[in-house]
Amino acid sequence: MEKKGARREAILEILHDRGGLREGVSKEVHQETGVPEADIYGVGTFYHLLSDPDAGVRVCQGLSCKLADSDGLKARFDAEGKKSCFTACLGRCDMAPAFWDPDDEPPLVECALSPSSDAHAIDLAAADGTGYEALARATERGPDWVIDELEASGLTGRGGAGFPAHIKWRAVRNQAETERYVVLNADEGEPGTFKDREVILRRPHLVVEGLAIAAFALEAREIYVYVRGEFGRVKRELAAAIERARELGVLDDSVAWHLVDGHGAYICGEETALLEALEGRRGMPRMKPPFPVEKGFRGKPTLIQNVESIACVPAILNRGGTWFQEAGRTQPGSKLYCMSGHVVRPGVYEAPMGVTMAELLEMAGGVVGTLKAFSPGGASSGFLPADQIDVAMDFAALPKVGSMLGSAGVVVLNDTVDMVEAALNQAVFFEDESCGQCAPCRIGTQILRQMLERYLASGRDASTLEIVDDVSWGMCEASICGLGQAAALPLTSAMKHFPREFGVGTG
Amino acid sequence: MSDFVIIDGNEISFEPGETLLQAAKRAEIEIPTLCWDPRLEPAGACRMCLVEIEGSRLMQPACSYKAAANQVVRTQTSRVQRNREFILSLHLADTIQDRDVMEDNNPSRIHELAEVYGTAGDWTPVAKQRVGRPNDVNKFISFRPDRCILCSLCTRYCDQVEAVSAITLAGRGAHTTISTADERSLTDTTCELCGGCVDVCPTGAMTEKAAVEYGKPERELEKVRTTCNFCGVGCQIDLNIDTEANRIVKVTSPPPGTTVNDGNLCVKGRFANDFVHHEDRLTTPLVREPGGGLREATWDEALDRVVKGLQAASARHGKDSLAFISSSRCTGEENYLMQKLARAGFGTHNIHQCAAT
Ligand SMILES: Cc1cc2nc3c(=O)[nH]c(=O)nc-3n(C[C@H](O)[C@H](O)[C@H](O)COP(=O)(O)O)c2cc1C
Ligand code: SF4
Ligand code: SF4
Ligand code: SF4
Ligand code: FES
Repeated sequence: MEKKGARREAILEILHDRGGLREGVSKEVHQETGVPEADIYGVGTFYHLLSDPDAGVRVCQGLSCKLADSDGLKARFDAEGKKSCFTACLGRCDMAPAFWDPDDEPPLVECALSPSSDAHAIDLAAADGTGYEALARATERGPDWVIDELEASGLTGRGGAGFPAHIKWRAVRNQAETERYVVLNADEGEPGTFKDREVILRRPHLVVEGLAIAAFALEAREIYVYVRGEFGRVKRELAAAIERARELGVLDDSVAWHLVDGHGAYICGEETALLEALEGRRGMPRMKPPFPVEKGFRGKPTLIQNVESIACVPAILNRGGTWFQEAGRTQPGSKLYCMSGHVVRPGVYEAPMGVTMAELLEMAGGVVGTLKAFSPGGASSGFLPADQIDVAMDFAALPKVGSMLGSAGVVVLNDTVDMVEAALNQAVFFEDESCGQCAPCRIGTQILRQMLERYLASGRDASTLEIVDDVSWGMCEASICGLGQAAALPLTSAMKHFPREFGVGTG
Repeated sequence: MSDFVIIDGNEISFEPGETLLQAAKRAEIEIPTLCWDPRLEPAGACRMCLVEIEGSRLMQPACSYKAAANQVVRTQTSRVQRNREFILSLHLADTIQDRDVMEDNNPSRIHELAEVYGTAGDWTPVAKQRVGRPNDVNKFISFRPDRCILCSLCTRYCDQVEAVSAITLAGRGAHTTISTADERSLTDTTCELCGGCVDVCPTGAMTEKAAVEYGKPERELEKVRTTCNFCGVGCQIDLNIDTEANRIVKVTSPPPGTTVNDGNLCVKGRFANDFVHHEDRLTTPLVREPGGGLREATWDEALDRVVKGLQAASARHGKDSLAFISSSRCTGEENYLMQKLARAGFGTHNIHQCAAT
């Protein structure tokens, strides 16, 4: 139990500044903050960038990078005598095989984008203006108008869950508690996803403006931005944009802005785990209810929104909710789709919501080789076979075929890919990134990975996969958060669509 | 008008803020749990207590889900039952399936529940990735990672009841384990060796070193309820006795909510019992021989000797040359008698109790 006045929220940043969790550091941080020493150790060991500060260069083992021979890259580092380790998706799938050196962040190469268009709400290829017209309009017409426009726009969360934005905004606004927070989720970590990175790099003022509008509409006095630790440049660009907006006089001092680093934990993209991280704890998702709109950061009403969602807000207010609503084909809005894996031009493509995979492939220059399967929305969405390329890529149609849009991180697989290996890659990801809090996910992810390894080691003996149904049922039914609930999907979907590779049937 | 929650068709009234588990317990509806303790904030981690709630797509943990008016809850459906079997198979695969091995000392709640609720089958054991602290030199408590289900009862107890925070969940995912700061020995931390972490552990992962060494499982020992005599609080303890050898193997605390100490003990009550069978223990009074040696005596003889000595000192040097100090092991009644002895028997106010600093 910590003493009253202990500075828990500070401990992750202090651990970061000390260069990570080396022996004796938790004692020092305990003396500095008043948080129990064991707690600091427990928190520090949760975050891989802190727990293993000497691991060297991180080589991405995300699926897109694996397809681009990240094993070879790792071997090259080994041969050069450069210390390195594998890590989960780095959000650089367009540069596969990607790596990240904590001491020397590698530059981002120009990512392929869809050409600028009036039909796009975000329009990554357009110049990032500093007019802040939407913010002016919002302050002139008031919070209710803002939220009504949001409702008319039909904007749903772009972070993965697709929850209607206006419901959250209104819920926070209607709380009796007046200490409220706006939190931007820039922890982008879903394998195959790198759109939020590009939004902040190319249109930082859209993000700043969206956040300022949210703080205004919700009467929040503090904004927290949680940026994944491997996105150093992204954080700097955003900080510069905030600074610029201050110089321009569009931001005043009524709202405090905080940019907070992530420290290497995919699960902190889950909104309540993110809040735990902001509060200086192990990033273990909270049980819901209560939801963050009621009890969020510091137990106060909190709006948490994804980068892309927030960046849609200025266009909605400038061009009207109805415009946004109509910009989609099957569901509202235009949408950023990240294309990587076996495509000719990996990149971020903005298209009407509900565009088909066939169209997206065309935008990205086509498949390298022959299409076999694709993962429509990050690892959590599982795999679909090539014959599903005409399904609308939206939040409604994909679930009907046993998948989901998620973060729209599309990974394309050609016919050289072994689906068992692909499923194993995702299984390793979920096992590595499970927070370990709840039994179904912590143990289930280990069982799935170890089972697939036994399957391969046994020369594909299907009896090693006997309990897949039971285990995946329980993971989906009993896990606390979306990670565990989705973690079996890559395997079960691969087994469903490619049974022969798993030793069953003739498919 | 009071509000009701409807569990398995029974209308059960509840206090605002109460969980489904608390409401169900009152109505004697059994919901199995592995990570719940009435003294602690629920963690919702083991997922053993999931129940169906009308209107909720997912099953919810009864241990933490708040009861609400007219909420319809089902604890006996096939889905709920399938989950219980799933969770038990998971934990068994992740610990030790063989009950005799698992229960070498402490009873295993997983195996107990598996007997009642069944399992989804014996799954291939998981290759475990949790580390322990093999170099922890403390003499009393060991942590055996192969039995740990990460229910966090131990860490929550240490934090929320003892307010010590010596142990923590450490690492992440499959590597999550229980540790101290920098994996130090418990004796090099804030740990008070209260043993509460051992007591709350449902699996014997946190265990009494000496009892494991002794080698007889707890279920083969006989529990004898008695009062700890190390201090005046009156904590109830259970001596766990190997009746064949007539030895106390260890001390456990009665379940929370049943006795004054609510399941808690301190280091002395729980671990300081090796004096009982120690060869140097005095079992009769001794008095000093004229030559300086000691010999066995009766209580009457020994007490006479004490009285005579005290009276002689008082006569020679005055009443206030005597002072009486009672032990912190004494109860209030005993302390009263002690001051009575000082004042009425020896006429001095020089009376003190060693715990009254
Ligand atoms: C395991 C897991 C990982 C997630 N990762 C992210 C992420 O990296 N970025 C993000 O914006 N949302 C992520 N989410 C979704 C968030 O919990 C939350 O729904 C979202 O940030 C809300 O913003 P939105 O409504 O604008 O999408 C994740 C959810 C889960 C379950
Ligand atoms: S489902 Fe996995 S990531 Fe989510 S709370 Fe449970 S262990 Fe943690
Ligand atoms: S013995 Fe008591 S103080 Fe020590 S770790 Fe266990 S619960 Fe905490
Ligand atoms: S040591 Fe015991 S009480 Fe602690 S987490 Fe493991 S199983 Fe639970
Ligand atoms: S007792 Fe409810 S989740 Fe463990």
